[in-house]
Amino acid sequence: MTPPFLEILEINKRFGDINALKNVSLNVSIGEVICIIGPSGCGKSTLLRTINWLTPPDSGKIILQGDIIGSVTGKLTIKQNRLLNNFRARIGMVFQQFNVWPHLNVLENVIKAQVVVGKKNSEEAKIKAIKMLNEVGLKDKFDEWPDNLSGGQKQRLAIARSLAMDPILMLLDEPTSALDPELIGEVLTVLRNLVKEGMTMLIVTHELGFASNFADKIVFMDAGEIIETGAPREILKFPKTDRLKHFLDKLSITSF
Amino acid sequence: MKFDISYIFDALPRLLEGALITLQVAILGFCLSVILATLITIARTTFQSRIYNGFIAFYISFIRGTPILVQIFLIYYVLPVFGLNLAPFTAGILAITLNSAAFVTEILRGGLASVPKGQFEAAKSLGISGFALWWKIILPQTFITSIPPLVNEFTMVLKATALLSVITVVELMRVSQQIYSANYHPVEILSATFIIYFLMCFVVSRSSVILEQKFKVKRA
Repeated sequence: MTPPFLEILEINKRFGDINALKNVSLNVSIGEVICIIGPSGCGKSTLLRTINWLTPPDSGKIILQGDIIGSVTGKLTIKQNRLLNNFRARIGMVFQQFNVWPHLNVLENVIKAQVVVGKKNSEEAKIKAIKMLNEVGLKDKFDEWPDNLSGGQKQRLAIARSLAMDPILMLLDEPTSALDPELIGEVLTVLRNLVKEGMTMLIVTHELGFASNFADKIVFMDAGEIIETGAPREILKFPKTDRLKHFLDKLSITSF
Repeated sequence: MKFDISYIFDALPRLLEGALITLQVAILGFCLSVILATLITIARTTFQSRIYNGFIAFYISFIRGTPILVQIFLIYYVLPVFGLNLAPFTAGILAITLNSAAFVTEILRGGLASVPKGQFEAAKSLGISGFALWWKIILPQTFITSIPPLVNEFTMVLKATALLSVITVVELMRVSQQIYSANYHPVEILSATFIIYFLMCFVVSRSSVILEQKFKVKRA
């Protein structure tokens, strides 16, 4: 049996008194799109952030293509740090708050990490950046400053910045939650294209419509645990647990 | 006694030489203090060590809580007791640097606080860490927001250099003292000195506006 593409193994994380993640394990195959849903504070964002070690878990392992990141806690040695950076460079991450760099223009935002981490020369990086910005529909914004962009444009810039590193896995932490409703569509379109291209993605989202159409699998979390995992239809139409039923009921009340 | 402007013209070349020294001391001291304060700030954020932070907090409150004149004397007259003899110019630079670094550290703390945590996270998630994280991503943002207080601090430093005259650094104030104690025309000489200091500070504060404008474009 071949090992899974990404293996999340018995992750635990506490924040003070709060048990944010309780022994969470999840396997992801290559090309799979997994949406993680659940009430706020259920640990879904934390789970995503432990995968690239932005939030180092208290225990557990993350194994990507056979490379183990795990059992590394506290201060990292220089060698561990290099491994971690290499690991992170292969994983793209998109944040709810975009986190584009305001002191760099649109093109530079996409070039920077390629040059610093990918050790590309600036000409190569620029060509790649232009290609990525075209893909997310920002071709006329190269010289613009991020502060002049709309939320949807900022998020598409953030996605282009990640994609320029040729990630093999994308983590998206509520990519549309901070957007005005009319801007959500343009970001979802970009994500849809990524799905078509076969990108492996883990998406924390409240967009159940998107999840049901494009996810291969939906993971429902509550109180730091994975409660149910399954195909979108099963999860959304035939919830097995009361907790999931309750969650879906609440959503359907608010989004009539 | 009437105001005789010819004394000013006679003294002007020497006064300007003194002003040049003033500028040298101020620029060198300020640049060193910015470098020192930047290192302090990075270390404070990176290590999060209670002992180190306590030490820095102590250093800052010590500098802020004592007159700079006393600090200058301390470095020039007390360090030799411990076998460290510094030339006036060196002692002056050291005093200015240590003093200004405390204030610049506080300025940078404010600037850094305005950089959202997500800026660090975005960089880290792309594999940028350590020196590059600070140099390419965090420090530019910190310094852009800190331009007005930094320029203000530089004018403070420029004016504080006048105090170095007491440890015989031959800067503008010292030169002016030398001239009027020889020709007994303090009114003319001090007026000229006053105007030269003012002009230097005026140019510096104007440069703040230009710098802010230049970077404002970027942040709109």
